[in-house]
Amino acid sequence: MVPTYCKFVIFNKIVRLTSKMLFYSFFKTLVGHEIIVELKNDICVTGRLHSVDQFLNIKLIEVCVSDPEKYPYMNYISESFIRGSVVRYVQLPVNSVDSQLLQDAARKEITIR
Amino acid sequence: MVTKMPEGEAEPVSLVTIKEPVDLIRLSVDERIYVKMRHDRELRGRLHAFDQHLNMVLGEAEETITTIEVDEETFEEVYKTTKRTIPMLFVRGDGVILVSPPSTTS
Amino acid sequence: MSSGLESYVNHTVSIITSDGRNFVGTLKGFDQTINIILDDSHERVYSPNQGVEQIILGLHLIRGDNVAIIGEVDETMDSSIDLSAIRAEPIGSVVF
Repeated sequence: MVPTYCKFVIFNKIVRLTSKMLFYSFFKTLVGHEIIVELKNDICVTGRLHSVDQFLNIKLIEVCVSDPEKYPYMNYISESFIRGSVVRYVQLPVNSVDSQLLQDAARKEITIR
Repeated sequence: MVTKMPEGEAEPVSLVTIKEPVDLIRLSVDERIYVKMRHDRELRGRLHAFDQHLNMVLGEAEETITTIEVDEETFEEVYKTTKRTIPMLFVRGDGVILVSPPSTTS
Repeated sequence: MSSGLESYVNHTVSIITSDGRNFVGTLKGFDQTINIILDDSHERVYSPNQGVEQIILGLHLIRGDNVAIIGEVDETMDSSIDLSAIRAEPIGSVVF
């Protein structure tokens, strides 16, 4: 059993890293996972998260568009870069999200500033 | 009571003073909240994380999209809603209009 | 900061802009706001009742604000597509 104090120290390190960059750090933990990015033009792009930057621009590999009949624009595109500003939602794999850690970091994020 | 807190620890919720709007949202972490979005979308879900842009991660997020259809004969406006549930959802803050804490969330 | 576009430089890319248009060309450069320099570019105009029309544009710069998606095009696969056979509804605009 890890004493509470130790857990805290570990957690503190993570928070230091994430200060002001919570979602950037969060998305970095999801690299390699499959996500669905829903854009503000209603297109849904599914792919494996390759990388993310501080603007939350997203690079996906193994891309497919949810409705290729309607949007043949992305045929034969296996890799794509999505500008962060056009993202509406990102559907995440539940099992790879540590919601407890997220909540703790979110509470702290705003405190640190 | 704990007298010494490790450096950087968040204050206990009961002691948090609300100085600015985001402090109110911080109190809603791990609670089910209501989010009104642009373009007639609404979300209800458990708030796991947020930042100063109101980017958020919601768990068990239920999205409601409301569209208005005009009946061609009677010209009556019919409100149609479509719902879907997404187990874990990142929401980009630029689409958020308002966030409402759990006490007012049905 | 690595935005992830480096690997596309000097490759053929397909860009969907926020007003729903599609440009294809060789990525020559970019900056942190995703301004794009596209060489040998053309626009592909999709329509529901006729094949894809290609408009030759040459060297273009696209301002970053207007960029939605940049995809790396597999050139051999892409050149095998019969564009005249593709029918599609236009893509909607990105509404902020």
